Amino acid sequence: MGKDRIVVGLEIGTSKVCAVVGELKGDGSVQILGVGEAPSRGVRKGEIVDMENCGKCIREAIAEGEDKSDVMIKNVYLGVTGAHIASFNNRGSYTLPEDREKIEEEDVARVEDAARTAPIPARNMSVNTILQHFYVDGQDGVVTPVGMFGRTIEADHHIVHGVSNRIQNSFQCLKDLDLEIEDFVFTPYAAAQAVLTQSQKSTGVLMIDIGGGTTGYCVYAGGAVKQSGCIGVGGDHITNDLSLGLRIPMGKAEQIKIREGSCTLGNSLPGETVTLKDEHGFAGKEIEREMLNTIIHMRVRETLELMKRDLEKENYLDYLGGGIVLTGGTSELRGIKHLTEDVFGMPVQLCKARNVSGVTSAFENPRYSTAIGLVKYAQATTGSEGGGGWRWLKDFFK
Amino acid sequence: MIELPRSNHQPAPAIKFVGLGGAGANVLDRLILDGLDPDSAIAMNTDVQALNGSVTRMKIHLGQNTTRGLGTGGDPDLGHAAAEEAAEEISAALAGGDMVFVCAGLGGGTGGGAAPLIAHLARKAGAFTVVFATLPFAFEGRRRTSQAAEALAQIETQADLVVCFENDRMGEALASAGGIQQAFIAADQTLSQGIRAVAAIVQRPGLLALGLDDLSALLKKRNTRCLFGYGESDGPNRAHEALDRALRSPLMDRGRMLAGAQDVLIHITGGPDLTLNEATILMEEFNRHVSDHTRIHFGFATDPHLARRICVAILSAEEAPAPVAKKLPQAARHVETPAPAAEPTAKPQAELFSAPLEQEPSGQAGAPDEDDPGDSYYNSPPPSTAPPMPEHKAVPKYAPQPATAKKEERAEQMPLEPASRGRFEKSEPTIVDGEDLDVPTFLRKNTRVK
Repeated sequence: MGKDRIVVGLEIGTSKVCAVVGELKGDGSVQILGVGEAPSRGVRKGEIVDMENCGKCIREAIAEGEDKSDVMIKNVYLGVTGAHIASFNNRGSYTLPEDREKIEEEDVARVEDAARTAPIPARNMSVNTILQHFYVDGQDGVVTPVGMFGRTIEADHHIVHGVSNRIQNSFQCLKDLDLEIEDFVFTPYAAAQAVLTQSQKSTGVLMIDIGGGTTGYCVYAGGAVKQSGCIGVGGDHITNDLSLGLRIPMGKAEQIKIREGSCTLGNSLPGETVTLKDEHGFAGKEIEREMLNTIIHMRVRETLELMKRDLEKENYLDYLGGGIVLTGGTSELRGIKHLTEDVFGMPVQLCKARNVSGVTSAFENPRYSTAIGLVKYAQATTGSEGGGGWRWLKDFFK
Repeated sequence: MIELPRSNHQPAPAIKFVGLGGAGANVLDRLILDGLDPDSAIAMNTDVQALNGSVTRMKIHLGQNTTRGLGTGGDPDLGHAAAEEAAEEISAALAGGDMVFVCAGLGGGTGGGAAPLIAHLARKAGAFTVVFATLPFAFEGRRRTSQAAEALAQIETQADLVVCFENDRMGEALASAGGIQQAFIAADQTLSQGIRAVAAIVQRPGLLALGLDDLSALLKKRNTRCLFGYGESDGPNRAHEALDRALRSPLMDRGRMLAGAQDVLIHITGGPDLTLNEATILMEEFNRHVSDHTRIHFGFATDPHLARRICVAILSAEEAPAPVAKKLPQAARHVETPAPAAEPTAKPQAELFSAPLEQEPSGQAGAPDEDDPGDSYYNSPPPSTAPPMPEHKAVPKYAPQPATAKKEERAEQMPLEPASRGRFEKSEPTIVDGEDLDVPTFLRKNTRVK
């Protein structure tokens, strides 16, 4: 393996902008050197709506990351998300020339190209194309076809695409700050790199990343991504619902959600109330606990049910031996594990980033899963590609 | 041993191809250059010079006395009169065809004026009549557009099937980059591919055969515009490439046009080495472009001549945006010289059109003589105080549902939003199944919260 390399994962989330500085060790492990974080402004549902304010937040987060890790940040791995992002599986096939039966590297490259050139809508751009499996003469589940004998070789790719203008907004934001983008990754896929183990990926697992503005998911089966997507609903919506339903300001709603909120119904005594203390400018309020929980419960259940419906379009749900893994900031909400078990009818565990060392506070918290996942993604891809492959992006921004 | 008769050994139906007017002749020439049997092609035009320029062997000069070898100058009445003059000659030429494909550009005088009459004559001769019509480019002027709409409505009353292409659409992909000539060539090319594909569908018996019933299902609605894509490939990844090329056709808009289609026809033709696997991959890929509710008419045929090539033809129809015809100045024209083509009354129309739906491709679908609607074409007196255009009668009848239900659903949501979206008020709504997810769930589900 190559020498140690420092990479930065940048997540421009709806609730926070977060830059994780990590060192990729020669032995394949990842050490977190520092985390920079700034509360996010100008981002709604995972998409930038106010470039100027968002730029400031990114600058803050990057500066903090530089401070804490003592590293100068020039290049980042960027997480992209938003409800506009969609995905599908595509198969490309390639038949070997008549005079040859042994598969060579170039054949594999050809078939991968064929699978990548999938028909996506004209205004969309491809975000990630993730290799799933090869088939050689119809033989299933081939991992490395080079050197095998066969006539036709096929490759399945999972293709994630989104509206290019929206994705380019975040590119532009970074360009304004003189940051270069090493690569960009659909956030649920990034988070999956951080929280899932190899054995979970092969037995089949559904990872749900509930963030501030969006809820992303990613299904692994047989060691490969089979399905991924994003719903434009997240923790922000819970707060907004509380604010409207209880008639309290957003700040208070966020506070009470974190401090007292739960997805579990029927767990409170009749008439039990929660007190919001009076502070300057706020008169204080008694809130019935059951009502608080009802509002949260309905929102979370609906979001999960929407996701379940999306997932049921392809029947991978029956193949999830590894159950469901929840991560992301909103997964800290009380009772969400049981509610998810109730909706999907399978075991659920809460997870945070694993197999990293360094700043403990960073990987102890599920809200950093995506940003750490970006660093892990860098490790996974550059391990094989040697850091190249995305030069075109840099040319694109010149 | 009992010998069971094979059902498919009857000869393929004989098709006569008629190229009418300048546009029709262009398409016909292209078809012949692409390998169409020249004996089955007939060019008809009022303009002798243009007619002589065509590579077709059989040519009929319309209106020797009416136009004296010149064109119609864009006047459909003149075109109609010219065709009437040559009616006997036309009938003789069309005799013996099981099917007649008429292609014509509708903006001008010959195509627009004579096409309804020729369709009528073809039907009278007992042939199943399919009219491939092109609507003029918008830049050709509104007069031509409205003339074309009028002609189309008349043709729809005469022909068994109408496949209507919009030049604007076909040229769109190229017009900005290439010159105007390329736009016309693209339009011709798409049309000729479309004709070939339809001919192949009805002529080539397939493993999974498509028939006229499938075509009729696609095009039974009135005032539709045809969406057509054609692609072929013999490359290593030919199934994918052929489909990809078909979807890249100007009328397909990379497959996006199919998303809302009710009926889609896809016809795959391959050489003998076409594998099931390839067909599966192709169809799987194709299915991503259509919605779950789309009815797919799937046809599959092999042709040894194709060698390693795979051809994919996709055909669908979308409803035209609105009745195209507007009351334009040429209403006056009808008062002076009422076009006989305007007569067919609503009753024979309906019968003419219900007939082809049940007919078999090989059954010489014409024979509509029970009620002899054919003669009504001539016998009914020209309406001297006729309504200016026939489609004023016909179009409202066949073009229901002006707006889609989906849009209404969203519109109904509107009043709720401003009051209840909170911090998401200014952001783009997240709408799933007509519900705005930014509105609190408890409000949408009507749960009472104090």
